[in-house]
Amino acid sequence: MTSARADGRLPLTIVGGFLGAGKSTWLRHQLSAGAFADHAVVVNEAAETPIDNLLLARARRLETLAAGCACCEGRAALVALLRGLCDRAWKDGIAGVVLETSGLADPAGIAAAVAGDPVLARRIAIARVISLVDGLNGALQLAAESLARAQAEAADTLVLTKAGMAEQSALARLTATLRRLNPVAEVVATERGAPARLPDGAAAPYRLPELAAAAPIRPRRLRIGAEAGWAALSTWLSALLVARGDDVVRVKGVVATPAGRLLIQSVRQRVQPPEILPPDDAGVAGPPPEVGTLVLLGRGIDEDLLERSWRRFGG
Amino acid sequence: MCGACGFPTAAGHWTDAGAGSPGERLRLRFTRLARVNRLLAPYGLRAHDDGATPGLQLIAPDGRRELVPDLEALWGAAARLAGEPVDPLSARALGEGGDDVRAR
Repeated sequence: MTSARADGRLPLTIVGGFLGAGKSTWLRHQLSAGAFADHAVVVNEAAETPIDNLLLARARRLETLAAGCACCEGRAALVALLRGLCDRAWKDGIAGVVLETSGLADPAGIAAAVAGDPVLARRIAIARVISLVDGLNGALQLAAESLARAQAEAADTLVLTKAGMAEQSALARLTATLRRLNPVAEVVATERGAPARLPDGAAAPYRLPELAAAAPIRPRRLRIGAEAGWAALSTWLSALLVARGDDVVRVKGVVATPAGRLLIQSVRQRVQPPEILPPDDAGVAGPPPEVGTLVLLGRGIDEDLLERSWRRFGG
Repeated sequence: MCGACGFPTAAGHWTDAGAGSPGERLRLRFTRLARVNRLLAPYGLRAHDDGATPGLQLIAPDGRRELVPDLEALWGAAARLAGEPVDPLSARALGEGGDDVRAR
């Protein structure tokens, strides 16, 4: 997908997109299909509990950046990490870097951070900005979130995910909306990372309203305990998502159960079938999972209130 | 669709993923019923599991009953019967009285 540059600068591919768009799933499939060979993979997450690295066991070299979103408060950490990779690139045989951003990142902010650093500007070149757009929730996100629009506008390639699950007429309208937002980007469709068909024919783009400033989406962590029972967690979390799925945009976490260590992920009300992680950490990439901590990304969700609620219904 | 590049996933509704063996599933069914009822109580509802029929029965104070297949369906039905969502973060569920204690 990217190759060595004549000027010797390391190509950087930025993989962005809204919370739950399917960034890790897409990247996992790319790695498994042999793309980004000899690339270092950097995964940035807004919360301090890294999860996405668990999905990327195929990465040749994986770095996790869990010190906040790299386009704002985690910018310094990203710059330091990329400088370190540049220093080791020759020795370690790194041909390029692929950065999976947090769902809260504006890829343009990251590109600006790289270009604005005097060292990185000479050693790294942005090869491509790939923005993933959620085929099921994308239209709603574009209508309501200025960040979702910024992510789409910044892309060289727009990847429509979950194409097989979405209704084709809705997917056609979403495609038309994206083409209007970003006429120069290439648009492709995928299902669980693998290529899928884009709907044929013309469709009317969605009308995107002017947006007032909204409360930002913030990461919250909830320590449920390594020994928290599955009965309590499944009850509490399913009720929370049915009642507050519009505010609790994303949940991620690893929990221990009698059936093994389960990786739980939700996007709004929809919870994916939990993945069963290998029993030991040798089978996972990057830092071992912080079992018993849930990360909830949401709007107007108070951490104390979450804890009080969990103590009452979960503890 | 690619199923080759991930870890194996648990089958069935996600809320049942934490129980592997049939014994664990049965135990989960009963330990969970108490949890469910703790959340339903502030809304005047209760759930019943006869241990034989799959799913749960949701019972309203006026005697209306609804059979639901899983927890997600249960909370949806409970919201309809109660006239408001069963929200674990709400003042009503937490028994904290007064207005909804949403985040500032």
